[in-house]
Amino acid sequence: MSNDKVEKTIPQTQAMFDNYGKLNGDNDILHYDDAFAKERGFRGTLGHGLMYTGYVCDLAAKKYGKDWFYRGRLKVKYVRGVCPGDNLVVSIAADGTAECKSQFDTTLVGSATLA
Amino acid sequence: MTRPSDVKPREGDQPASLYKDWKVGAEFPPLPFTVTPDIVKEYMSVVDADPKNYVIDGRQAAPPNTLFVYMMAVMYRLYPPQQGGIMLGNTVEFHSPIWADEDTEVIGSGRVTDKYEKKGRKIICYDVDFKRPDGTMIMSVNHMSAFPE
Repeated sequence: MSNDKVEKTIPQTQAMFDNYGKLNGDNDILHYDDAFAKERGFRGTLGHGLMYTGYVCDLAAKKYGKDWFYRGRLKVKYVRGVCPGDNLVVSIAADGTAECKSQFDTTLVGSATLA
Repeated sequence: MTRPSDVKPREGDQPASLYKDWKVGAEFPPLPFTVTPDIVKEYMSVVDADPKNYVIDGRQAAPPNTLFVYMMAVMYRLYPPQQGGIMLGNTVEFHSPIWADEDTEVIGSGRVTDKYEKKGRKIICYDVDFKRPDGTMIMSVNHMSAFPE
């Protein structure tokens, strides 16, 4: 287990949203139809929340190692959308505080800890 | 192999459940599926997962969150989805690993835990549990989404 902050940056593209949607079968047009998403008040199509939750989990597995598989605890809230062109910085602080931030907003807040 | 898209009703394919249709306490029918090495590999590619982070005692595990891609299928089989749903949050517990080099039989089940309206949003909360056929818990989730209608 690492007590250090872990972080990575993942530039977001529409192709990433499309590929995640092909796997999970999500056909919600908020992820694919730019005009529909903008009509709903968003900057553009929205990334799948569980896709960038997967980014957080990857860092948690790196931070906690084997323990993460047996007693990992994750709590996330999606506070803003992630859109194509966003430069998403994903981090878990030493105390387990988890966050995703783009150049526009904080998009996810929460924690990744051990029971 | 069970691709999530094989078992998840797709938005727009059938009449959607509306907020009024959801019943707190309603149980989702059990959903059996098989996670294969191909699914694990594809999942890792779409979430930018580093295989080095998933090695347990020298064996390559799958990201335990691979099961995320089946979560909504469990719920949507009882309540077909509508377009425009917004995911608000998830609380997740991981209990035991699944492996990247073998098929894993999983049964998803769950129930509606809450529904309410807040600031004009129609909010639904539900639990999903993923277990092996012998009852071993792999992952449990409490989920919250908002729907337009």
